[in-house]
Amino acid sequence: MSSLTSHDDVPVSELDGAVKDYSRDKVYVYTAIFLAVITIVEVLTYAAPDFAIWADDLLIPVLMILMAVKFFTIAYIFMHLKFDKPILTRIFYTGLVLAVAVYIAVLFTFRLFTS
Amino acid sequence: MSETLTSRPSIAEADAHQPGAHIDHDTNTGISNTKLGMWLFLASECLLFGGLITTYLLYRRPLEGPGPHDVFDIPFTSVSSFVLLMSSLTMVLAVSAIERREHQRMRVWLGATALLGAVFIAGQIYEFTAFVREGLGFTTSRFSSAFYTLTGFHGVHVTIGIIMLVSLVLLSMRGKLPEHRSETVEIVGLYWHFVDVVWVVIFAVVYLIP
Repeated sequence: MSSLTSHDDVPVSELDGAVKDYSRDKVYVYTAIFLAVITIVEVLTYAAPDFAIWADDLLIPVLMILMAVKFFTIAYIFMHLKFDKPILTRIFYTGLVLAVAVYIAVLFTFRLFTS
Repeated sequence: MSETLTSRPSIAEADAHQPGAHIDHDTNTGISNTKLGMWLFLASECLLFGGLITTYLLYRRPLEGPGPHDVFDIPFTSVSSFVLLMSSLTMVLAVSAIERREHQRMRVWLGATALLGAVFIAGQIYEFTAFVREGLGFTTSRFSSAFYTLTGFHGVHVTIGIIMLVSLVLLSMRGKLPEHRSETVEIVGLYWHFVDVVWVVIFAVVYLIP
């Protein structure tokens, strides 16, 4: 099998027309619209705090869920974790889970949730 | 570790047949070392920002000076957040453009991303200036120190991202960013999206949670 170094030109002659009809751009635009809608809902929790869905004790859980949905949507679609090799997802989640676990432990140590 | 591109599918070829397929590299993981390094860096950044957010949560109730809801301008910050969110769209469109060998379009999207990032930073500078005028300096209280450190670190990350984006545009204009180096744009894109996800967390935890 012949190999090319990263400095060589990628042979594109055999690819002519192969990608012209295919694009993920629509997916990206729909994803951005979805994220914008979630952001609007987040801002509504501030503008209309008495709305039944997030009134009183439900506000923080609702905001956390919306934040998580935005976070993972960006990671999966825009950062290509959905399309890329699973090892990258595992690497990123290792850092994320480690950070969340360590800092939840810190917050418990300082009794943030009980005071 | 030497790295070669083999005659296995290139980005464009793989993309044509399998949406989302990425180029295979001759490394143990099949991923380029640069990209793997960026993901490891981003994983470590989770710990950095996790520490800063935790510190903010611990000190968010000031013993003296103005508190978060005395100074925060949520509508203004919401617009800034929206601007940064949309910059993620323009960034991913730039990556998509170079994968399709559309250099001019890529430069436009990269420029738009840098511009949106600059608008976000301008908003942050305006916000900080307004807070200082209202008596919330860096050393006013534990809350103010934690707040400025967290959002300031994020702002520095955005600024570094803008510098990288402008560099990419300049490299492309000089013809030093050919298709086979499209991964460079993708890697800068990963950094930019990470900066956006961090702001998603900061916006909810710092600004919206009462």
